[in-house]
Amino acid sequence: MADISDSAIIAALGRQMTQAVQKQAVAAGNLANVDTPGYKAREVRFEALLDEELGAVGMKATDGRHFGTPTIADTPTPTEKAGLQARRDGNNVQVDRELLALGRATGEFNAAQTVLAAKFRLVRYAINEGR
Amino acid sequence: MSSTLFSAINAGASALEAQRARMEVAISNLANAESTRGPNGEPYRRREVVLESVPGDGQPGEFEATGVRVAAVLQDQAEFRRRYEPSHPDANDEGFVSVPNVDVPEEMVDMLGAARAYQANLTAINLIRDTIQKALDLAR
Repeated sequence: MADISDSAIIAALGRQMTQAVQKQAVAAGNLANVDTPGYKAREVRFEALLDEELGAVGMKATDGRHFGTPTIADTPTPTEKAGLQARRDGNNVQVDRELLALGRATGEFNAAQTVLAAKFRLVRYAINEGR
Repeated sequence: MSSTLFSAINAGASALEAQRARMEVAISNLANAESTRGPNGEPYRRREVVLESVPGDGQPGEFEATGVRVAAVLQDQAEFRRRYEPSHPDANDEGFVSVPNVDVPEEMVDMLGAARAYQANLTAINLIRDTIQKALDLAR
């Protein structure tokens, strides 16, 4: 536990929840526009963002006392999903796909929420001196 | 984060409204499939709902779901169908009646599509509502 602090874990879980919520919002927007002519399905790809960050040339910590550089952007912009067959009205939203994305994002959110709740429970336990 | 969730619920709600409008228009088309006399003397014209997406009005950096609204209800300008029925009061000299350009199976399909989309959006709203509840549970 020495190298990973509690606050870092809590912050990471919070970020995961935020990302899950953003995925949900995008999927909900796609579902809402399932019959809008010309609407193109959108998606947020945090994985692509991560790859970009990992591949980018950044400052390097060569000493243990260097501060890290914060690189994770919290709000990536949704992009149009590539490689989907559009219908005749130019719309390419697929209901099953969006519901799946929504369900998956909900699962991710619930997972992070469960762990975070357990974390908070431990903190409360410590505050109450184990009572 | 919470405004993102609420914008998602709002997007779902706007879709419910839009799909209900689609359903209502399909029903009025079906109801008037045989109305040979309208207020303007013409037979009933088939109506059609056009939807458009509404981008969120959130500040930059905030995440907003895209909603939807009814852009217009258009009248189908296709030719009226003609049916030979000399005994009909609205028949012309040759015995033909102009009947509305409503295609009943097409309206049924449209209605089914609207019902399915309505259901999907209702499911989405319930999932997001559960998420909000879960987030609130953290404070307990």
